[in-house]
Amino acid sequence: MTLVMVVDDDQDLAEMLSIVLNGAGIDVDLVGRGDEVLELFRNNPPDLVLLDVMLPGIDGIEVCKLIRAESMVPIIMLTAKGDTHDVVLGLEAGADDYMVKPFRHPSELIARIKTRLRRTNSDIAGLLAISDLSIDVQAHHVLRGNKVISLTRLEFDLLVALAKEPGRVFTRDALLSEVWGYRHSTDTRLVNVHVQRLRSKIEHDPENPEIVVTVRGVGYKAGALVHS
Amino acid sequence: MQRVGFRLRSSLAFRVILSTVLLSLSVVWLTGSALNNQLSKGVKQVNLDSAIIEARSTIFNAQYRLALAQGEAEPIIRSVISDVITSATSLGTAENTRLIAFIKTPGQEVSKYDYEVKSEFLEVNSIPENLKVQVRKSSEIKWTYSNFAYPGNSSTPIIILGDKVKVPNAGQYEMYLFISLANQEATLELIRSSLLLTGFALLLLIGLITWLVVRQVVRPVREAARIATEFTSGDFHQRMDVHSRDEISILGNAFNEMAESLQKQIARLENLSRVQQRFVSDVSHELRTPLTTLRMASEIIHSARESFDPNVSRSAELLVAQLDRFERLLEDLLEVSRFDAEVAVLEGVDFDIVTLAKRCIEDLALVASENSTSMVLSVSNESIMLNADIRRVERILRNLLTNAIDHADGKPIEVTIAHTEHDVAVGVRDNGIGIEPHLLSRVFDRFWRADPSRARVRGGTGLGLSIALEDARLHNGELEAWGRPRYGAHFVLTLPRREGSSIEARLITLKPTT
Repeated sequence: MTLVMVVDDDQDLAEMLSIVLNGAGIDVDLVGRGDEVLELFRNNPPDLVLLDVMLPGIDGIEVCKLIRAESMVPIIMLTAKGDTHDVVLGLEAGADDYMVKPFRHPSELIARIKTRLRRTNSDIAGLLAISDLSIDVQAHHVLRGNKVISLTRLEFDLLVALAKEPGRVFTRDALLSEVWGYRHSTDTRLVNVHVQRLRSKIEHDPENPEIVVTVRGVGYKAGALVHS
Repeated sequence: MQRVGFRLRSSLAFRVILSTVLLSLSVVWLTGSALNNQLSKGVKQVNLDSAIIEARSTIFNAQYRLALAQGEAEPIIRSVISDVITSATSLGTAENTRLIAFIKTPGQEVSKYDYEVKSEFLEVNSIPENLKVQVRKSSEIKWTYSNFAYPGNSSTPIIILGDKVKVPNAGQYEMYLFISLANQEATLELIRSSLLLTGFALLLLIGLITWLVVRQVVRPVREAARIATEFTSGDFHQRMDVHSRDEISILGNAFNEMAESLQKQIARLENLSRVQQRFVSDVSHELRTPLTTLRMASEIIHSARESFDPNVSRSAELLVAQLDRFERLLEDLLEVSRFDAEVAVLEGVDFDIVTLAKRCIEDLALVASENSTSMVLSVSNESIMLNADIRRVERILRNLLTNAIDHADGKPIEVTIAHTEHDVAVGVRDNGIGIEPHLLSRVFDRFWRADPSRARVRGGTGLGLSIALEDARLHNGELEAWGRPRYGAHFVLTLPRREGSSIEARLITLKPTT
């Protein structure tokens, strides 16, 4: 059974969230304080974290960084603000996605969670190659030579999306629908921030990316294959 | 001339210096010429006096010696006369030459001897006739000023003095002395030029002193102006230096106090704006969390409404609908307060407004058909790119479309998009109930309704058009409205295609031609 950790200081909302999630067949761990997250996280690792930004103890952005420092678990931020600043900070701290309160429908939340938990591209067998990296889709591994590069599931999905169609230029909207499962969203920041994060892990020089290449005014594409 | 006029108007220092110098010039001129008159009068008097004394002694000497020679023979008398004249002429220096004329008074009986003598170069007719007349009438020395051309010299001012002299056995003669006034003229010239020079130097000094004094006054004034300008342009830390306790420092102190109070005021307002902004974000957070809970709870109740009693079921539907409305109202209020706090920011991206408009129309098509209307789009190009805040532009379009749907009265809505290199415009025209022209200016007012008795079809917040206008203005764009009762309304949005520039022209005529 899937386990989601819900970090929110509002008890009523937390309870409501667990009702909704339980209804969708998901187990829930509730945490009310930012500084209590890590301990529970280590004792009982969840499959996904639903994280509020404003928390007593340590704020959500900090918690996000702490979790990211030791785990690649999917994190969805809950932000009460439509504030750009908060969203970008959260994404940069390692959150995969965010939801602005209040959500339109509980089903929307469930859908987001399921997208993040879904094993993407399970139809692709074998190895993909991009630049000097090889990607084992089934094993969820990215290798440079013999060295494993550790990516979050979202970053992995992003890389696979680009790598499985080398040379194709993906618009940000196309990536949003492919990787995040949005039908049409205007928030391209999600893509921009995660491309930056991905680059910082896989590029030799993140300032001059060769693996995830920007196509000005359009989007991104996978860089050319390098035979080593 | 134009430059002087400009400086007169623009520079206080220039004006003060110019007027001081001009006034001083007239004073110096008056005193100078008075002084000059006085001095030349004195010099002339002194020269005249000495000329008269000299002439008197010369003529007296002649009279005396001729009187002593009474009864002597003709050669003796002749030698006396020659002697007198020689000694008189030799008295003068080279520059101050004396010339003497010794002539017989006409109208006497012819004498045996003629003793008339005159200096070289001297013509008898050089003696003015009226002087001769005066001399003949009077018994003392008479004189007059005249000019005389010495050989090798141009005309020189002279004084001519004359008196009668009795010559034994030869009747009455007249003796005239010509005394050059060249020296006097030189003296007068010297006085004049000295006065002129002094006057000129004085003017220069006055000008300089005025400049120094004016600078003392004007410099702090200019400094004050500079500081005030910088203050105006936003540097609220500018203060005037106050050292002394004069009028300028009073100005300085007053300015500094004003600056201080303004700075405080501005800081207070900035703080207010920060507090407001903070409040907005707090309200946002505090309200949204319970709203989220409410939302989810109502959804769960709503999804189970089939199993409820009809009244409870309908209540669940109303609950969900009103929560929707409540949420929209909250969003709109927060947006309005962001505009009021001037913290709304643009996040410009490149996008195609035709695609955006199509999507908005598509999204609202169902609502339109519920209101038995439809939307028709006509565009000047299949794709029109612009750089703007897509979220805000979308909100403007949605607000205009829902407003049109609300008021379409079942008649079709025409959406037009026009563009130039520089601008893009979107017109939304409905043919519905329309609006009185005098009420047009109020359609952008918050919570304003053209007809309060008419229910809002879409349960709108009453803030849509007001926010749309603010959104348009934030882009340096414009949103304008036209309307006539029973002829519908026309809203035209015009935006610059590049963020930061302003619109050049109206691309869609606001007032419909048909």
